[in-house]
Parts: sequence; C-alpha cells; structure tokens
Amino acid sequence: MTRTAVDRGMFAAFAVLMLAVPWIVPELLGAFWVSVIAEILIWSLLAASVNLLFGYVGLLSFGQALYFGFGMYGVGIGIAHLGLSFWPAFGLGIVASMAMALVAGIFAVRLTWHYFAIITVVFSLIFYFLFLTIKPVTGGDDGINFTLPPTFRFGSTEIGLADSTFQYFFILFFVAACFWLMHRVIRSPLGKALMAIRDNDVRASLIGLNIYLLRLVAFVMAGFLAGVSGALFALFGRYSSASYMFYHVSGEAVVWAIVGGTGTLFGPFVGTGIFILVREVISTQWHHHLLIVGVIAILIVMFAPRGFVGLWHNLMDRLFSPRGSP
Amino acid sequence: MEILLLLAMNGLIWGLIIALIALGLSVIFGLLDIINIAHGDFFMVGTMVAWATVEASGNFWLAFLAAPLIGFVLGALIQRIVIQPIRNAAALSIVATFGLSMIMQETARLTFGAIPKRLLPPIQQTLTVFGLEYEVYRLFAAALAIAALAGFFLYLHRTKIGTWMRAVRHDRDTAIAMGIPAEKVYVLTFAIGFALAAFGGAVAAPITTVDFRGGVDILPVCFMAVIIGGLGNLPGTAAAAVLLAFMEGVIQSFADPTVARIASLVLMSAVLLIRPQGLFKGFAR
Repeated sequence: MTRTAVDRGMFAAFAVLMLAVPWIVPELLGAFWVSVIAEILIWSLLAASVNLLFGYVGLLSFGQALYFGFGMYGVGIGIAHLGLSFWPAFGLGIVASMAMALVAGIFAVRLTWHYFAIITVVFSLIFYFLFLTIKPVTGGDDGINFTLPPTFRFGSTEIGLADSTFQYFFILFFVAACFWLMHRVIRSPLGKALMAIRDNDVRASLIGLNIYLLRLVAFVMAGFLAGVSGALFALFGRYSSASYMFYHVSGEAVVWAIVGGTGTLFGPFVGTGIFILVREVISTQWHHHLLIVGVIAILIVMFAPRGFVGLWHNLMDRLFSPRGSP
Repeated sequence: MEILLLLAMNGLIWGLIIALIALGLSVIFGLLDIINIAHGDFFMVGTMVAWATVEASGNFWLAFLAAPLIGFVLGALIQRIVIQPIRNAAALSIVATFGLSMIMQETARLTFGAIPKRLLPPIQQTLTVFGLEYEVYRLFAAALAIAALAGFFLYLHRTKIGTWMRAVRHDRDTAIAMGIPAEKVYVLTFAIGFALAAFGGAVAAPITTVDFRGGVDILPVCFMAVIIGGLGNLPGTAAAAVLLAFMEGVIQSFADPTVARIASLVLMSAVLLIRPQGLFKGFAR
C-alpha cells in the first residue's frame, strides 16, 4: 500500500460515512447527533475561510465573523423583511457577504500581518456594533426569527428543510461543493500564485504577480466561504443574530483552523469537528467545557504546531518513508 | 452642559485606567511580538482579586497590592510555560492567548460565579465640582493610574532592567550579544504587562462591575489605544487611551454608547490605513 492509497481510502470511507449519517447516526446515537454533524459541516466552512486566507495566502483574518454575519442576515432579512422565497434569500446572503468582503478587502489587503489581523477585527466590530444599534432591522442581540419558505415546489408537493434528512443532505451538498471548489482553486495557477505570495511576497511580486489584486481575490473568496457558512447556518437555525458577528466567533474559527491544521484542505473540518464534539459531549455533563477547549488549543500549539492533520502527516511520513532516510 | 462635563470627566478618568491596561498590551506586543487576546482577561483577574481581597479581609487597600502581585506571578508563569515554547510563531501565539483567555474566563466563572458583582469603593465621599456631585474615588483612581503610569515610565528609563527592556525591543540580537539575558527580559515583560492590567482591574473594580466577562469589552478598547497611539509607542498609547475614552465620553452625552464605540472604531481604521505608525509618531519619542 502506498501513501496516496491510504489517503484515498480514508477519503472514500469518510465520504461514505458522511452520506450514510442520516441512517446510521440516529440508530447508534440518536437523531440529535445528525444535527450536530450538520452544524460541524456548516461551521467548518467558516474555519475553511480562515484557512484559505491564512494557510494559503499568509493573511491572518480575525474578522471572518463579519462575512458569516452578512450571510446570515442576507437570508434573515431577505425572508423576514423582503419576503423573498428560499433561493433568492440564500443568494442574497452569499452576494451580501461577498460584496462586504470586496469593500472591506479593498482596504484591508493593503495591510499585512498584525495590521491585517487588527483591521479585519476592527471592521467586524464596527458592523457588530452597527447591527446592535439598528434593532428594527436586525433584531440586535436577540436576532430575527423567520419561517422557512419551501426549497422546492413540484405542483402541490413541497420539499423544505423541515424534513431533517433533506436538510442534512442540503447542507452536506453545499459544504462539499465549497470544499471541492476550494480544492480546485488550490490546485489551479491562481492557488499556486497565492501560495507564492504566502511564502515570499517580494519574490512573488518580482515574477510579475499582482500581489494586491491576488490578495483581494483571495479575500473575496474567503468572504464567499464564510457567507455560505452564515447563510446555511441561518437556514439551519431559522434565525439571524448580531451576536454571531462578535470577535469571539472569528477567534473560534481561527482556533479551529489552526488546531485542525492550516494549509491543508481538511484541517479546518477536523478542528471544527473536534471542538464542536467536545462542546456537545461535555457541556451536557459540565458547564465549563470552554476550560477544556482552551486547554486543547494551548496543548496543540505547544506540541503539534501543524495541527491534527500535521500529526497525521507525521505519522504517515514515519510509516511510509524508506528506512534510513528522513 | 453639566452632563457633557460629567461624561467628559468620566471619560478622562476611564481613559487613564485604560491607558494602564493598554500599556501592558503595548509592551507585550512591542517586545514579544504577540497579539495578546487574553489581555482583557488579565484586567478581569485584577477585578476578581480585588473582590476576593475585600471578601477575605474586608480591606480594599490590600487589593492595590495583591492584584499587581498576583498578576506579576501569573504573568511570569504563563510566559515561561506557554509563551516561551512558541515564541517564534506569532500566529500560534494568537491561538495560545485565545486559549488562555477561555481558561481564565471559565476559571473565574467556576470560582466566583457568573453573576456580576458590585464593589463599594474604599472612599465613599462625594465632592462638588463645577456644581456637580462627583465621587472622590474616581479622582483617586485617576491619581493612582497617573502614579502607576509615571512609575512605569521611570522604571523603563531610569533603571537597569528598564534599559534592558528597551534594548531588547530595539535590537534583540545586539542586546543578547551585549550580555543582556533576553529570556529573562521576556518573562519580566510579560509579568509586568499582566501586573499593569491587573492593577488597572483593581483600580477600576469599584467603577465597573466585577464580572467574568469583564475583559471582553475592555480588549477592543485597549487595542484601539495601542493602534491609534502606534504599535509599540508607549507614550502614544497612553495618550491615545485618554483621547479615545474622552471622545467616547463626549459622544455619549448626545448619542448612544454604541455610536460612540463605532466612532472610535472608524477613527481607528482611518489611523490604520492612513498612518499605520500611529497618530503620535514624531511627537512622543
């Protein structure tokens, strides 16, 4: 067996498992856990948006919750205030977050490193406080609740997210599509250009890459991922709330991405999964699960700075590297 | 008019306390190159220590000693155990301090409960200034903050270890070559940063509430002061903290506190984009 074969086998097993969730999980654990897995899928896109910027472009954004919030409110305001049906509201969420990412990115990607981390969190805080203030539109901290319009309508039969199996596959489909898109982007010349900027921006500019434009493109793509995540979460929870735009949400996404392993496609998913499972398993018994979350975050950065996926790669290296060579 | 004056004065005093906390953030940033997400919680630890001291001894004055002392010890321990091993990876330090922040908040909630507590100031007289009843404690708090700020700057510029700290910040490799124990300076810097924030917490405890989430609101304000003052520019940070809190105080007299917060955030973005070296570069060095 070669290493690629192991990776492929793992991926195939994982894919089958994810497809089988609505039938296996309720039998083994209970129906509640299907929605936990759906939630992991949704949040992993937010972590993926951090990963796209940090892992592939070298920009640490501490404000991805802003685009998540725009995705949420695009859906929420679209349905509750504008009376949109399902798909236009979903689209509005994604377009709103990408537009916001474009506007913020025009300013933000002029800066790098610490300054970039800080300007992104500042932008997200500005809109967090703004959304708290315009309560009639956003509902502030309490948020707005809405009832979902049907997803598909064939004559008189309606299919909507009220059907939990359909809801799970709806979320799985969009999350998988986003990860596939990200995979394609990373493999493309665009992805190589982004990684060149991450590794050395001066050299990248010397070979003729337009650093500013490429960073902006990456920022809008990250906004797209966060926006889809937020829109899905609004559809999943049937509400939108400004509290999801606070910097703690952005910070958690950064932690998930780094603990899972940045610069790898699946790292953010692994990190998100571990933290949400810890939360769901422990919080039923003990209210202070954040204590354990904090300890895990610190232990990982101290002992496995490349995250869980990094640990996995180390293991694979040890298993498959020829004896004697490093 | 009176309201404006009152809020401006409150803003000024709050700004002095923020300056103390932001200064800790700024030294840690300038020397260790760490964006310390847990810094607001260092402040919270200070308020908790003050509350615990009053509960245990009934004497508030002890808190002004206990808070910076406990802060100093905790800071030194955290730097040695957590920060030192990951010093060369700044992105990881953000995750580590985020983890620390969670640990400190949950520990505080576990030990002191989730209900915000009020602490009575050790001085309860009021004073009439410009026709306004004003708490004497607030003036005293301002004096304490000014004293601590002055003490810190004297320490930095007049003592050997203070000079070491400035030397390591300026040029780490040369400083090590000259025989300055940089590792010890790092421990000390982090400890002092924590101690300053904890002292600020003890001073501020009777003015705000003692709450395990108290640091969450403080952190953005401190970052604003550090950015507007200029990263690593200590006098600039102190000046910016006072300016910001004063401005927010004035805006609050005619608008919502959230509007005041938005105004300072917008000011901060403008500074980041137009003068990333801070508003006061060139004045305060």
